[in-house]
Amino acid sequence: MSAPSLAAGRRETPATGPPPAAAPPRRTALWPYLLIAPTVLGAAYLLLYPLLRSVVISFQHFRTGELIRGGAAFVGLENYRAVLGSEEFRSVVLRTLVWTVVNVVLIMVISTVVALMIARLGRRMRLAVLSALVLTWATPVLAATTIFQWLFQSRLGVVNWLLVTLGLESFRDYTWFADGTSTFAILVTLVVWQSVPFAALTLYAGLTTVPAELYEAARIDGATSRQVFTEVTFPILRPLFGLITSLEVIWVFKCFAQIWAVSRGGPDGATTTLPVYAFQVAQSLHKYDLGSAISTLTVLILIVALITHLRRMVKQEGEHL
Amino acid sequence: MRHVTALLALAATLAACSSPAEPGDGGTTRLTVWVMRDSLSDGVLDRFEAGYRRTRPDVDLDIQIQEWDGIGQKVTSALASNDAPDVIEVGNTQVAEYAASGGVRDLTDKVADLGGADWLPGLAEPGRIEGRQYGVPWYAANRVVIYNKDLFAKAGIKAPPVTRDEWLTITAKLDKGDDQGIYLPGQNWYTLAGFIWDEGGELAVNQGGSWKGALDTPQAVAGMEFYRELQALGEGPKDSDEAKPPQAGVFAKGDVAQLISTPGGAVAIEKANPELAGKLGFFPIPGKTAGKPGAVFTGGSDLIIPEASRNQEAAYEVVKALTGETFQNDMAKEMSYVPNRVSLAGVLDGNEGTAAMAKGAAGGHATPNSPAWAAVEAKNVIKEYMTAVLTGGEAAAEAAKAAQSITGILAAES
Amino acid sequence: MIRRLPLNLAALVVVVISVFPVYWMALTAFTPTKDIQAETPTFWPAHPTLEHFATAVNADGFWTFWRNSLAVTAAAVLLALAVALLAAFAVARMRWRGRRGFILMVFIAQMAPWEALLVSMFIIARDTGMLDKLSMLTLIYFMTTLPFTIVTLRGFLASIPPELEEAALMDGCGRAAAFRRVVLPLLAPGLMSTSLFGFITAWNEFAFANALIIKNQDDRTLPVWLSSFSNVFGTDWGATMAASTLFMLPVLLIFLILQRRVTSGLIAGAVKG
Repeated sequence: MSAPSLAAGRRETPATGPPPAAAPPRRTALWPYLLIAPTVLGAAYLLLYPLLRSVVISFQHFRTGELIRGGAAFVGLENYRAVLGSEEFRSVVLRTLVWTVVNVVLIMVISTVVALMIARLGRRMRLAVLSALVLTWATPVLAATTIFQWLFQSRLGVVNWLLVTLGLESFRDYTWFADGTSTFAILVTLVVWQSVPFAALTLYAGLTTVPAELYEAARIDGATSRQVFTEVTFPILRPLFGLITSLEVIWVFKCFAQIWAVSRGGPDGATTTLPVYAFQVAQSLHKYDLGSAISTLTVLILIVALITHLRRMVKQEGEHL
Repeated sequence: MRHVTALLALAATLAACSSPAEPGDGGTTRLTVWVMRDSLSDGVLDRFEAGYRRTRPDVDLDIQIQEWDGIGQKVTSALASNDAPDVIEVGNTQVAEYAASGGVRDLTDKVADLGGADWLPGLAEPGRIEGRQYGVPWYAANRVVIYNKDLFAKAGIKAPPVTRDEWLTITAKLDKGDDQGIYLPGQNWYTLAGFIWDEGGELAVNQGGSWKGALDTPQAVAGMEFYRELQALGEGPKDSDEAKPPQAGVFAKGDVAQLISTPGGAVAIEKANPELAGKLGFFPIPGKTAGKPGAVFTGGSDLIIPEASRNQEAAYEVVKALTGETFQNDMAKEMSYVPNRVSLAGVLDGNEGTAAMAKGAAGGHATPNSPAWAAVEAKNVIKEYMTAVLTGGEAAAEAAKAAQSITGILAAES
Repeated sequence: MIRRLPLNLAALVVVVISVFPVYWMALTAFTPTKDIQAETPTFWPAHPTLEHFATAVNADGFWTFWRNSLAVTAAAVLLALAVALLAAFAVARMRWRGRRGFILMVFIAQMAPWEALLVSMFIIARDTGMLDKLSMLTLIYFMTTLPFTIVTLRGFLASIPPELEEAALMDGCGRAAAFRRVVLPLLAPGLMSTSLFGFITAWNEFAFANALIIKNQDDRTLPVWLSSFSNVFGTDWGATMAASTLFMLPVLLIFLILQRRVTSGLIAGAVKG
């Protein structure tokens, strides 16, 4: 997951962006297009073309034979009909929504609390918390999944040891990864653990931009801490919250590596979200056509979910122009 | 800025040193052979490589070990690529699927040259589709019990058990203190299949052309109940299979009395812990009565040549050598595998592991003969059913769920 | 002081939760197997050992894969920075027809479901002769990090007053020179934080590396190797954690090198606001 942007946060803070340059279009009408040419060419070959290819496959009968020999036949909307008609797909969509909501809510709430906390800490403690968050942030996904599997091992895992030591005998040799709910919970823990640092650090950076006078004024008016947050802090940082929430939605929704590495979508499909499902169908069952249809639907769902975010982005660009 | 420059320099250096030296110069052909993890010992492979280099100095063999995890995706990609590995080992339950996909070389006209007249049917048939032979039989093996003679002696057990009841009794006796009676991971579904066949059950049955999951029959549930009893007599993880962690490594620690594996597993154990050499014994998986050993899954491997291999002739020569008498004899002796041809079976006389295996082989079974069966395996339906029961689920209810799920998969795919 | 106690306690909890998993990884990596398998875990390296690191490093091809990963990652990040810088400049400093559409596409590209493109990417790589090549992976990682890099750099560029450049122009610098001498230094924190992001993304990538490197096993990358490491070493959690530690090390180093810049960028942003 990652690193975005300290800068993205900055961009959103009010008064940062100066009016865009009055760069002289008269002189160099061709320049901007030359400058974006590498991006456009790269995207055409490495993103647009594969994407189109994938969409085309979703309208074909495309299995192992077609992958090897070519010559796939078009079947119209048959794959979409098969996917949308299946009980399994609907339950996966529902699970993906639950997965996204649970994770994003936890990430945002915890990050906000942590950010507010950091702002209040003394210098040394603040440095300690910031460093700890950066350390978590720097942990590669694959390393983190291995660590979590080790923490929750049934026999030698330190989590079971801790729970048993605390008197919860039922956790002796408890097999976390055998049960759907507990595997889901571990994955949520893992993703939240990995995502909070970025969100908390960015929010903290945002908090420091709120003028201290506003807080003082609110205090003098007798506002409680909660009122200060809802009436001063949050409104000022609203764009930042919006941006971080949108980014987290994208990441959590698309999250694949963690789930695949830990549970392969199991047990009994309990952790199969849309990206995992698409991968299973395509790579394990070799039904590339259905897999592509699922992926296409996944992107559509994500775009619909984030339409307001995209709208705002575009509007903002309009203001800049 | 300094850092960026440093990074740039670093990247340039790395890029420079990672450009591969082009192989194949000097007129040698580089042949890539894929062999599955733990299917053959290093010794067998090294001897083959050395021997082959002597007869064909112009061929440079690159034997690569592949992991079972995700192998379906890997082999499919290889078949679909335009520069595939030249020879690939595939499991006998999977060869039909690859052959049907169309990227595998048709070797029908070579069957006589390869001595196909007396191939083991359990390996030859899955490799044949509509009369054309794609997979070449390589070796067969079925599961036996490998035991630690020291631990048996320590527990005062004189003879291996011949019935299930005896088996449970002695295993309970062995499961004392720090020692494990048996290391049986919760998801060893080939073993469960044997128990189910013993009871007269099936994994799935063909009813008038359509397949139905059968894990919920009383016989199949009884098989699972036995698995649960046995599994509890050791520390095998309930949510994992024999490959994760590799069970030979667990056994090699010396505190496990029994293990269910092909006899070849003993080689991996001795490699991990040479102190156990000579202390391993074998016996067939006990059946319900003394006269009849337990039913087993007949496993094995075929070799295929992808059509995308760029060295068709050289690849064929290697296949011929790997399935020929010299290699087969060497492999059978070291790994206790059954050679690919009936006429070679004599080489195994007097081998303890194979003797145990041969007794069990009489009750050999195969997985349901549906092209969709691979999907049942890929979706881990049986494995997850086993874990659910072992971690406290109600066997009959879980079985009904799993059977329904298998029926659904087999229906959807056909 | 007393009033601060709950706050500091809460901070301590955050620190412990953040650090513990990583600490546990490093600890296990240095703990002898005997102690790892003890009934009661040890929380301090009483008898530190390097045996697990030896196992990990001596495993077949470790250094090759490590070097492959580093080369692919570094190349992808640098390529993305260079290309993104051009695009970001065009977006932040120039007006042109199609600019809004371009930005929108860049935003949407951030949502690209990469794992879903495995099959089509495989076909394209095969048909363009790029299968089994590290350069293909480099290109893909470049593309996965590009959209984010453009968005972020654009943000940084927008916050640098163009007047600075104009002043330099007046002083007789060429446009390129003005950019290099004035803008680039101010942009440093932005370049740092985006390269950090790109580095992590590319360093971690598994699905493409696993699917597109088929026959040339010497071209595998570290994540692919790490994934089979657990197959090979199984219960050897010491060796697995040592391998994970070695896997994390470069990222941590890059963080340490770049972090000062990133934080200074953060503070600069904060002060300006």
